[in-house]
Amino acid sequence: MSSTRRVALSLALAMAPGAAWAQGAGATGYPTVDRVEFVLECMQKNGGKQEFLYKCACLVDEIARAYTYDDFVEASTAARYQSLAGERGGVFRDPPQVRETAKRYLQTQGDAMKHCGVPR
Amino acid sequence: MASKRTYTWGILLGLAALPGLAFANQEVIKLTQDSKNWAMQAGNMQNQRYSALKQINKENVKNLRVAWTFSTGVLRGHEGGPLVIGDMLYIHSPFPNKVFAISLADQQIKWKYEPRQDPTVIPVMCCDTVNRGLAYADGKIFLQQADTNLVALDAKTGKEMWKVKNGDPKKGETNTNAPHVFKDKVITGISGGEFGVRGFVAAYDIKSGRQVWKAYSTGPDAEMLMDPDKTMTWTDGKMAPVGRDSSLKSWQGDQWKIGGGTTWGWYSYDPKLNLMYYGSGNPSTWNPVQRPGDNKWSMTIWARDVDTGQAKWVYQMTPHDEWDFDGVNEMILADGVNVKGKPRNVLVHFDRNGFGYTLDRVTGQLLVAEKYDPKVNWATHVDMKTGRPQVVAKYSTQAQGADVNTKQICPAALGTKDQQPAAYNPANKMFYVPTNHVCMDYEPFKVEYTAGQPYVGATLSMFPAPGSHGGMGNFIMWDAGTGKIVKSKAEKFSVWSGALVTAGGIACYGTLEGYVKCVDASNISKELYKFKTPSGIIGNLNTWQYKGKQYIGVLSGIGGWAGIGLAAGLEKDTDGLGAVGGYKELKNYTELGGVLTVFVLP
Repeated sequence: MSSTRRVALSLALAMAPGAAWAQGAGATGYPTVDRVEFVLECMQKNGGKQEFLYKCACLVDEIARAYTYDDFVEASTAARYQSLAGERGGVFRDPPQVRETAKRYLQTQGDAMKHCGVPR
Repeated sequence: MASKRTYTWGILLGLAALPGLAFANQEVIKLTQDSKNWAMQAGNMQNQRYSALKQINKENVKNLRVAWTFSTGVLRGHEGGPLVIGDMLYIHSPFPNKVFAISLADQQIKWKYEPRQDPTVIPVMCCDTVNRGLAYADGKIFLQQADTNLVALDAKTGKEMWKVKNGDPKKGETNTNAPHVFKDKVITGISGGEFGVRGFVAAYDIKSGRQVWKAYSTGPDAEMLMDPDKTMTWTDGKMAPVGRDSSLKSWQGDQWKIGGGTTWGWYSYDPKLNLMYYGSGNPSTWNPVQRPGDNKWSMTIWARDVDTGQAKWVYQMTPHDEWDFDGVNEMILADGVNVKGKPRNVLVHFDRNGFGYTLDRVTGQLLVAEKYDPKVNWATHVDMKTGRPQVVAKYSTQAQGADVNTKQICPAALGTKDQQPAAYNPANKMFYVPTNHVCMDYEPFKVEYTAGQPYVGATLSMFPAPGSHGGMGNFIMWDAGTGKIVKSKAEKFSVWSGALVTAGGIACYGTLEGYVKCVDASNISKELYKFKTPSGIIGNLNTWQYKGKQYIGVLSGIGGWAGIGLAAGLEKDTDGLGAVGGYKELKNYTELGGVLTVFVLP
């Protein structure tokens, strides 16, 4: 239900003038670069086996269903830097809304991993 | 051939014979004046981060594409940026502080230097094992290693020419700053304010590595290279001598010995005045109740004679710091800035404390001190007569006392801006400033000092500035003559990347999402280009020209790791300072090394 709405939203965004940047946006507003990067990273983490081309592609598709591109960038940034060392890591760890964004992203990603057969 | 060489030597001798004009400085100044190079970390001695190149301009910047990339192979935060001299590019990495010399013709590594450093230095680095880059002069590349060794490398071969120890990591002394070459000296500072280090700057001879002078931020006048009668400071609306024992009198007992005032920022130099400018950091500990007094000369803007190290003038921005508002941020020198109808040669400084300062850089007179984030609330204003910030009791961690959580202080300890350097555009005399838009709750507690151990004494919690756009950063355009924000562009996350402004009419910066953004320098709300690099950006954007083409380069990589498979570990690693241990599980995750991304027009 909500994922259908999300797709519609990202399509709308992709078609909005000014939304497509120099990097080029794909059908759901995710630039090809980001999808490729995501899949390569995911494959690398899983030993580079061919089967993970399919599983990781499934994973990025699931995430693209759940998040518009801009929301994905924000949420994955929040999640990635929860582990940032030192005082400045605090700007990612301390604010409840950033922590919440990170948590929700990891939850979504976790569910998608299960769905696509990507081990944690 | 022979006659040409003789001629060259004639020029060299002539230069060397001129009093007060050292050759190395002339060489570096000359290199920086040719905008094909990017010969200093800030582009020039004035710390302006400005380039006269205009091949990439506001009409065509949207067409930028990636020319080439280079991976340092090192994780952790990548600050600073590449140096470009002629057909060579020099780039550094965070700890273990590798240096790569890359030929621009084919992007091949010409030489590589990897120092052997004791990894026990890592836990005594408060804020990640960053390094802010290299310096060049006299055919040498200078590297300031984390373990405090200052090294001179042959720029052609990477061979070590000399090496000198600048501090002692066992006492908590480390280095993150870039070395700065002014005249025939390479000048460096020290980090470790969170470990009770006593801050200083030191000047070394570029030929031999011999220490020429060393000047502390705190303590007896002689050790600060301060003349009680001649060193001036802003007093009751005019400049007056600092007087005898100005630092000693402002500390309880011998607390000045572990008083902080470290010096890890960006220095600048005025060749005409022969003065260098830099800032000193927070006093130790972070618990203000434990160190009564003004704690001079922590949190201070310094002007020193480069030859002797003698302090010409000082200005303390945050006497008796209660919030960790280090005063180390860059000192930018600008000429002919209109202050109250009069053109002045000024020093402009965006302090962590949230005030943008404009000082007469000849005399040290305070001209302007205004908030460069309207949310700054710890002080109502700076009293222009005394030069002191008027602290609001509600946000004073001293007034609230130890073990009390003082709430909603703006800005947070990271400051309205940290070290990420701003850029200055001489064409419109505007400053382009990457900022934090973050506030905090702050609770000081009592700590005992142990050499080499953290001496912090405060816990804090940060959040986006309340009652604003909800984001944690802004990129602003600032008029230093009036002390006003001309335009502010909101960012979701803090902007921790150094800015660049060019004669092509563009201003560029990086974001924590990993975007390189270029905006119209006359209207920064107009985003002209945006590109996502592989990781968050805390490096500085630099530009150069090679074989008729202009390039823009930036390091990305802020530490942390890729989102994939990260589900575990989110709730852990919330240690604060000294938490480089946040990386301890890294080997289990995809390693994303720092990447230099270089852009060009098609």
